[in-house]
Amino acid sequence: MAAVSGGRRSGPAAGVRFFCTAGRGLEPFLMREVRSRLAATQVEYISGKVFFTTCSDLNMLKKLKSAERLFLLIKKQLPFNVSSVSKGKILNEMQRLTNDDPESWLNAISIWKNLLELDAKKVKLSQKNANPLKRKVGENAIIAKKLKTEQMQEIQENKECQLEKQIEEETLEQGNFTTKRDKSQEELQNDVTEAVDTHNQNNLTFRVSCRCSGAIAKTFTAQEVGRVIGIALMKQFGWKADLRNPDLEIFIHLSDIYSVVGIPVFRVPLASRAYIKTAGLRSTIAWAMASLAEIKAGAVVLDPMCGLGTILLEAAKEWPDVYYVGADVSDSQLLGACDNLKAAGLKDKIELLKVSVIGRTNRICWWIKCEEKNKDD
Amino acid sequence: MKLLTHNLLSLPVQAMGARGFALCLQATEVRINPVESNPDFVAGMIPKVEWAVLLEDSDTLHLFKVPKKPIQGHEHKENFLRNVHHVLLEVDVLEDTLQCPESGFLFPISRGIPKMLLSDEVT
Repeated sequence: MAAVSGGRRSGPAAGVRFFCTAGRGLEPFLMREVRSRLAATQVEYISGKVFFTTCSDLNMLKKLKSAERLFLLIKKQLPFNVSSVSKGKILNEMQRLTNDDPESWLNAISIWKNLLELDAKKVKLSQKNANPLKRKVGENAIIAKKLKTEQMQEIQENKECQLEKQIEEETLEQGNFTTKRDKSQEELQNDVTEAVDTHNQNNLTFRVSCRCSGAIAKTFTAQEVGRVIGIALMKQFGWKADLRNPDLEIFIHLSDIYSVVGIPVFRVPLASRAYIKTAGLRSTIAWAMASLAEIKAGAVVLDPMCGLGTILLEAAKEWPDVYYVGADVSDSQLLGACDNLKAAGLKDKIELLKVSVIGRTNRICWWIKCEEKNKDD
Repeated sequence: MKLLTHNLLSLPVQAMGARGFALCLQATEVRINPVESNPDFVAGMIPKVEWAVLLEDSDTLHLFKVPKKPIQGHEHKENFLRNVHHVLLEVDVLEDTLQCPESGFLFPISRGIPKMLLSDEVT
């Protein structure tokens, strides 16, 4: 359950409960990562998801490397029993997900808003302080675009949060929610004061994404469940559904082991990296492999079959004070790797060679004498 | 290809003793790229580097005069570290040929990537 009162704007709420999806086999890496990066507590792993509690803000959460997606936890409970019960009864039970304990939902949503608000403030601050000369043009364009879309949404939430200070959380009014997404950033920032005066913008638009697996998937389709929960939410909180561009996305996963409800924290999965132009290996796995090498500062690291350089990219981002060398036998892969390095701004950190790791062994063998040198010192 | 990479490549030949020979550099196209300075990293690399090769590279490419031996207590000599940093990390050999002193075999460097294949196998 999402813990602790929301509404405090001074800092992130203490001990917020999250969960991450992770690829099969990466869960131990993710558990280690949340403990070391986020000082997470109450870390649990259940079949493809890692649950944890942390006080970290969005900036730190964004840095998770072995997770697929990050969600704020609303509810985690025992799975629905589908064996001998009628379909209607099960649907009733599903509605109880939303109706039994509306406080936990509203709690989670206010925590979510606080997180985004804090992040929006930091983004504005960092934009003022950013040295434009340091950034490369390509990176700048990507970052600028992302910031703009995130900011547009965060400023939206910011505006709503201001309003909720005026109106008690329990009384959510019906009203027309005029979407102002087309307005420019400057206009939105000035709008905050204007919005405080108008009292009718308290509705969130939302969308339900549902996944069913195991026994329940045989009885229900994801759409059915999504629809039932969606309607229950509309009745309970008065939100409006928007399938294309909602403010709030609700994620539900019903399986044989649990029923989990959460809010995705970022629009883009953590696994898609801004600094990788063309991924070869999946970024999460590449990072996990690099972490197994126990790379220390001052080391020389070789990837003898680097392909597009994904492992080296992940490693260079995490352990920067290291000399990286990538080798591959294929020209096209090396070309792609070169491209990737340029796009990530890592041309200085990662060298490339064309080498074959198999082939005739004769008197001429080429080695990179990394460790041998170490032994002689 | 940075000169640090050139230095790390070597030919271990049993009869020749522990270190073997380095490749002969005949620079054709070279570019100087500024690289953010990291003195600790450079100081850490100096023990790993084959100094003779560094001297030779520095000579061939007409770079800074590198001292015949690494300075004792080099961790604290700013100028020295900056020079070594420049030679090892800021010089990028773009087009060249590396020659194995043993066999005379030639390995091309094109677009900064040395091709260390013995035959035109997989490309």
